Amino acid sequence: MLEVKDLHKSFGKEEVLRGVDFTLEKGEVLSVLGQSGSGKTTLLKILAGLETADSGEILLDDQSLKGMAPNLRGIVYLYQEPLLFPHLNVSDNIAFGLRLRKVPSAEVHRKTGEMLEHLGIADQAEKMPHQLSGGQKQRVSFGRALIINPRILLLDEPFGNLDAEIRALMQDLYLRMAATFHITSMFITHDLREALRVGTRMAMMREGKLQVYRSQAAFVQDPATGAADEISFWQNLGNYLPTKTS
Amino acid sequence: MKKHPFFGVVVATAILSPLMLLGIFSIGKGWPFPKIFPENWSLQNWSDAFTASSGLGQSLGLSLGIGACVAFLATISGFFSARSLAKSSRKNTWLMLAYLPYVLSPVMYAACLQVSFLFLGISGKITGVMLGHFLLAYPFAVILFTGFWNARMEAMAQLAATLGANPVSSYLKVLFPVAKGVLFVCFFQTFLLSWFEYGLTVLIGVGKVPTLTVKVYQYVTEANIHLAALAGCLLVLPPTLMLWINKRYLFTRITL
Repeated sequence: MLEVKDLHKSFGKEEVLRGVDFTLEKGEVLSVLGQSGSGKTTLLKILAGLETADSGEILLDDQSLKGMAPNLRGIVYLYQEPLLFPHLNVSDNIAFGLRLRKVPSAEVHRKTGEMLEHLGIADQAEKMPHQLSGGQKQRVSFGRALIINPRILLLDEPFGNLDAEIRALMQDLYLRMAATFHITSMFITHDLREALRVGTRMAMMREGKLQVYRSQAAFVQDPATGAADEISFWQNLGNYLPTKTS
Repeated sequence: MKKHPFFGVVVATAILSPLMLLGIFSIGKGWPFPKIFPENWSLQNWSDAFTASSGLGQSLGLSLGIGACVAFLATISGFFSARSLAKSSRKNTWLMLAYLPYVLSPVMYAACLQVSFLFLGISGKITGVMLGHFLLAYPFAVILFTGFWNARMEAMAQLAATLGANPVSSYLKVLFPVAKGVLFVCFFQTFLLSWFEYGLTVLIGVGKVPTLTVKVYQYVTEANIHLAALAGCLLVLPPTLMLWINKRYLFTRITL
């Protein structure tokens, strides 16, 4: 379980995080919404060890992460861009974390093969990153993170660069993978529909504070999230469209 | 697009003819005006070049040694310095300072360094010339690598870290392989900077460090046309060889 207590972070005079508190249970997917510059990315980077908090505490399975290097945390941070290593083919990209952990080569081969099957890109194993489409790159990026069985997966708008059709396919894939690998994750997105679809719990980042909702219903009912307005818009879409004339 | 082989031939001739002329001069003996070709042909100059008396072989070795050391040190230190520079809040100030040796011109730069080198006791020594070349090549390497260390590359390094790479394995498994092309280009360019450096070498070496470039100028001022041509040929060979080895990185776009 991840516990975050009273996390503060400032860049110069700008206070980005103002006492962030929340917990994340094993297997949960916490969807985080919020405006640009509200501190979502900073929060994720602090959890991954890529930034340091000014104050506050982070406990992962009752172990403090203070001062722990990113490579020892078991928390993988995925960017909006897949950032595949350009000198490695698909198979070697996915096997990257296993090779770092000096997993025997036969096991690396077996696990990579299984992951490629899960991702539906077994036929792309030998391709180089520049030969893949955006969706395929994102699949490889997922596989590379999941194969090392991370304690927490942090996703920073992972589908932000994809078109609507591929984005929907990737959401399906993510839900399938989350169920198969029992992923504990935080998922940042600007897309309300995506947040509701992939998250088991919802949170809203506002002015440096994270408000976590008990349930999706509680999130929708809060007028500050804008979710109710959006749902109402789609329900009454007919009213906005021009009427047909015979 | 239609190709024009004629222009290709003209360009190739323009590039190769001076080199061919150097080759002819280096193996010719006696070339009175208005004869088109030398009266005699001999490889004597080439065989003499590597005897102890001419010192050309020694100069070749010295230039290769200085060039390789300077290129290696400048490339490695430039690579790491540029990463720090990319994160610095005073990036632009540092980058502007990196252009200083080229704004001043290498000779003026050497004149400024000479006082310190005299004080350190390395003026007129190989170490002094090497340090002088390094101080010229290092800012160049830093400028070259600032383009490599962008936000995307930092994100890639951070991603590798969260996947389990410690700082050393991050460099060995990701950053060096990704930077391979630009590292080769930097090594090549800084080697050339050192290899062809004349003014700074003469000033700091005070004539006691006879690199190949210094020898060429020496033969030219002595009007020793055949030895100057021979030394010129030796001067051109290593960069040409490196150009051929590096052509893959120099003339292809690096795809990330």
